[in-house]
Amino acid sequence: MAGLRIGFDIGGTFTDLVLYDEASGRIHSHKLATTARSPEAAVRAGWRTLLAEAGFSGSQVSNAIHGTTLITNCLVERKGAVTLLLATQGFSDVLDTQREMRYDIYDLHAPQVEHLVPRPLRFEARERMDAFGGVIEELSVASLGDIAKRLERAGVTDSVESIAVCFLHAFTNPEHERKAGAWLSERLPHLRVSLSHEVAPEIREYERMSTTVCNAYVQPLAATYLRQLGEVLREVGFEREMFLMLSSGGVSTLETAAKFPIRLVESGPAAGALAAVFYGELLDLPDLVSFDMGGTTAKMCLIKDGQPAMSDHFEIARVHRFKRGSGLPVRVPAIELIEIGAGGGSVARVDELGLLKVGPDSAGADPGPACYGLGGDAPTVTDADLLLGYLDPGFFLGGRMILDRAAAETAMAGLADRMGLTVTETAHGIFRVVNENMISATRVHVAERGADPRSLRLMAFGGAGPVHAYEIARALKMQGFVCPASAGVTSALGFLTAPPAFEFARTHMERLNASSLIELDGIYAGLEVEGRRVLQSAGIADDDMTFTLKADLRHVGQGHEISVTLPCTRPSDMSLDGDLRPYFFARYEEIYGHAHTHLDLEITTCRLNASGPRPQVVLPEFAAGSGPDQALKGSRPAYFTEAGDFVDTPVYDRYLLGRGSTVRGPAIVEERESTAVVGPRGSAEIDRFGNLVVTLAE
Amino acid sequence: MTTTDPFAETPDFDPVSLEIQWQRLISIMDEIDFATVKTSFSTIVGESRDFACILVDQNGDSLCQSRFSPPNFCVVLPRTARRLLAVHPLETLREGDVLCTNDPWIGTGHLPDYILLTPVFHQGKPVAFMGTVAHLSDVGGHRGDIEAYDVFTEGIRIPPSKLFIEGEPNEFLFEVIGNNCRVPNLVLGDIRAIAGTHQIGIRRLRDFMDDYAMPDLVELSSVIHGRSESLMRSRIEALPDGEFEFGLDIDGYVDIVHLHATVRIQGNDIHVDYGGTSAQTRKGSINCAYNTTFASTMYPFKCSLVPQIPNNQGLFRPIHVTAPKGCILNCDDGLPVQARAKVTNNINQVLFGAVWPILGEHAQAGSGSIWPFSVHGDLEGYGSFSVSCLPHGGRGAMQGLDGMPPIAFPHNSSVTPIEIMETQAPILILHKEFRPDSAGAGRQRGGIGQRMTFRNIADSTIQGRVRPDKMFCAPPGLDGGVPGVVGEVRWNGRNIDRFPPLDLQPGDEIELLMPGGGGFGPVVERSTEHIRRDLEAGFISEAAARRDYGWDGPSEASTG
Repeated sequence: MAGLRIGFDIGGTFTDLVLYDEASGRIHSHKLATTARSPEAAVRAGWRTLLAEAGFSGSQVSNAIHGTTLITNCLVERKGAVTLLLATQGFSDVLDTQREMRYDIYDLHAPQVEHLVPRPLRFEARERMDAFGGVIEELSVASLGDIAKRLERAGVTDSVESIAVCFLHAFTNPEHERKAGAWLSERLPHLRVSLSHEVAPEIREYERMSTTVCNAYVQPLAATYLRQLGEVLREVGFEREMFLMLSSGGVSTLETAAKFPIRLVESGPAAGALAAVFYGELLDLPDLVSFDMGGTTAKMCLIKDGQPAMSDHFEIARVHRFKRGSGLPVRVPAIELIEIGAGGGSVARVDELGLLKVGPDSAGADPGPACYGLGGDAPTVTDADLLLGYLDPGFFLGGRMILDRAAAETAMAGLADRMGLTVTETAHGIFRVVNENMISATRVHVAERGADPRSLRLMAFGGAGPVHAYEIARALKMQGFVCPASAGVTSALGFLTAPPAFEFARTHMERLNASSLIELDGIYAGLEVEGRRVLQSAGIADDDMTFTLKADLRHVGQGHEISVTLPCTRPSDMSLDGDLRPYFFARYEEIYGHAHTHLDLEITTCRLNASGPRPQVVLPEFAAGSGPDQALKGSRPAYFTEAGDFVDTPVYDRYLLGRGSTVRGPAIVEERESTAVVGPRGSAEIDRFGNLVVTLAE
Repeated sequence: MTTTDPFAETPDFDPVSLEIQWQRLISIMDEIDFATVKTSFSTIVGESRDFACILVDQNGDSLCQSRFSPPNFCVVLPRTARRLLAVHPLETLREGDVLCTNDPWIGTGHLPDYILLTPVFHQGKPVAFMGTVAHLSDVGGHRGDIEAYDVFTEGIRIPPSKLFIEGEPNEFLFEVIGNNCRVPNLVLGDIRAIAGTHQIGIRRLRDFMDDYAMPDLVELSSVIHGRSESLMRSRIEALPDGEFEFGLDIDGYVDIVHLHATVRIQGNDIHVDYGGTSAQTRKGSINCAYNTTFASTMYPFKCSLVPQIPNNQGLFRPIHVTAPKGCILNCDDGLPVQARAKVTNNINQVLFGAVWPILGEHAQAGSGSIWPFSVHGDLEGYGSFSVSCLPHGGRGAMQGLDGMPPIAFPHNSSVTPIEIMETQAPILILHKEFRPDSAGAGRQRGGIGQRMTFRNIADSTIQGRVRPDKMFCAPPGLDGGVPGVVGEVRWNGRNIDRFPPLDLQPGDEIELLMPGGGGFGPVVERSTEHIRRDLEAGFISEAAARRDYGWDGPSEASTG
């Protein structure tokens, strides 16, 4: 049966839907305002419109995948459930003492990172495991009884909705957590229970506790919301099981998502990275950097060999949005995106040293940049882009908004005076500084993963991405950049290309010797059984399952490990000295430039990635259409760094540039959602799918 | 603050290019910082982050540091660099050379801090240095660290040397270092890892200079230093001129030590003199080489006056520090220095004690200090182990801000996870929790302290080291705030106040009761609402609320 697939994403502002009809290869999309109070309302309306437009009924849809920012927002706005923590006796204050590290070493006023469970709601159980999973003290059920009593005495029994259980070394021996979980489910059945060995089975108690608490905190909301969503989909006629997009870029069943909602936390941005993977495949570009620049932030993600960079830890709900260490650590597999405070709305100012700073403060959408004419008087990146000639005041968002050039100039003049520069120098200064912020972040992100920017291209999305892509690619000496066709639905396309994929992990700390590889076989086999079960429940046939083995390895004695994909189907297929060690040293050297080949290896965590087949999306080929001459709309002066001045630059209509059209820089290519700026060293071509592919000359 | 242009005297520069170039230098150091954590071998570097990455210009002046680097290391490194260059002059250095020393009087004041300095060659000329200061796991010496008679007892001292010569390891030196410590794998592993990160930094810096067609960093360095110095001077200028004095008794492991500071604000300079401070001592290994005193003096001024400006040499030029030769803050070569942090961690408290009236919201009462402990031994199942943990007491209150719960101050480091310690050493941590009623009362309460206990679970003796602070002299309050409650250490339930290496028998337990921070402002000004909240959280007991704050609320407010 030819499939009909729908991906839908509830963002903070908009709910996006995209429908792909495998039979015809056609893609339909729809965008409507998010209904914050009851998000399922926009989903219902969106599905109905989309199905009507495409001429299908809900029952014909074979596959639905959903992503959401609601979980993230719930954490950022701290609007989750009243949550309890149950920890090993003597350790519940770890939630406050954390790692005892300051995220800003000179700001004496930098506020403490407050976690989500206040001290009066933290409980302790008498129990103890040692580091190797041996029981030192049995779990005392009597000590649990105290919880119910204390809740009752405080009169909060009914308002409490969720509990996180985190015992020391539970990732090694989860028995006490399981017992406590069973006891809680029986005695306090209205509580949702999150167990640390299930949520984040990894060493380091604060990070595991933090992850478990975050999961518990969002679980009641996620459960309600997912249930309502399921009802709405049945209302519109969808009869199959819905999948949820995970921050790892895989998808999961509703059941798993309801149990571990923390794994959904970065699902929106993950979809963006997957879309870049998809376009990369289409263009035969396995190595690239996805670059999504919107109003407030820019997000970058390295994709190497068609795989996005992954991380098993990140932070959410930061006190200072862009300061590392100021948030709540979360340990779940996630596509690793770096996010910095650089967007169209980023505000420029002069700091106390007289230097030009751009962001991370953003004017947002309201009042927005000065040129929006909504009362904003601070100069922003969009104002600079307008004054440099990159944006057409009459064709912003396809003409839906008229930009006020005079307002941008006035805002810019104030800043220019303070620096003793001209308005143009100031606008160009903002452009350079915001670009450098993104360039530095990208350079470090790419280098930390052992890639060379010179072999990469940028995949530019978002309203401001294509405006700034040229300068970033140029500074990093990249080969060029790509502005994908139909930018409006790019991110939602990522949902349709996500395979069902789940990661399973087990901490196993051991210095490796020849016989340990056989022992590891058993661990991975156990993980595979789990994976097979979950994939089967998602309706995947045995033949379509792929299991990838990964291991967190390090040199003996080292404090941190790197995660490597094992080139085998079971560890004992390799020999330790002949295969695994050289393989690890090579990976290590790739990242850090040297390895300690005289040392033994230590494993800390076994990971297994279980995935189903990746759904294919075949884009329709783009019509030949007209050439550059017909697409030429006119010209305007635009400022180019290489020229050091304004250059009269031709402006093209993206929709009239047919397949195979080539345009030499400097040039500006306009479409509804964005404007691509091609500098003097670039030349752009429209490929057979309608993507704008820009190559930079040496 | 002054309204005149602080930069009238400094050279012209382009506010856009300087911003871009400066940020990029910082991001280079962040990258090598990240690589250091990821490639290190010891918990003290990898988990506790007791290291700093600093970019130094061709003169040995610091240009920038990674964002997380402990502040004091960055102030000292330039002084070290100049001494290294005096021995190995710039013109004799070759590409691939790496200089190193751990001399306390040249470096950061005690032997475990190794300093590695790698020249960066660009177009055939040395243009800068990658610098790292890292506290390594062991330097040999006696097994204790606070009962040494002299520095020679404390371990091996490496004079300014070449660790690598034109890219080749100086095997002799590696062997000397390895043969003189108990955990050569950790120490040499960390040293090699650090040298490796410098190579990353060198590549990045060269790319940077190529991108901007810079033959050297002379001009950029002079602008960064000039702007920073001017801003610092304008901030000092805005403070009222005057002389402020403060004396403070502090723990000294054996004898109480008196610190005394006279701070003179004059125009746009600050002069700090430590006359009146106790003489150097053979007891407790707590003497400070001048470098560390100098660095610790900079820190509170940096935080109070220019917290947002990236750290660099220019900021320190207007601050002048003198300490009588032979006093504990300017000790003679040869004196024992291992535990000098005992003293330097208190310098900010003496300075805030002197100048708080003119710093307004930027002064901070005394903090509960750092309480390092470690265990060592060699046992089947664990191998040769050496695991450290750096927990803290509560932080001091500020005008308008309660003190924070245990967090690093004035240095920065992170506490080793319990699960990591228990995996690497045969110890069981019985609890790590707040210590109620430990915080100093005040309009703003000090930060609450904490309690940790560990037990030897091996069936043989292991060695423990404990370095407590503020067991006799409490963290001072400011502006009428009450001092925090002093700390205590118990060995199998009995208080101890002497800290040689402890031979811990199987089952032995060490309990650490870490102090709370000092309060700020008169106790009577604390709001009832805040007292109620502290009761609810269990930070203070009802008895203490009644005693310390005159609380007369109903007793059910306490959750017990």
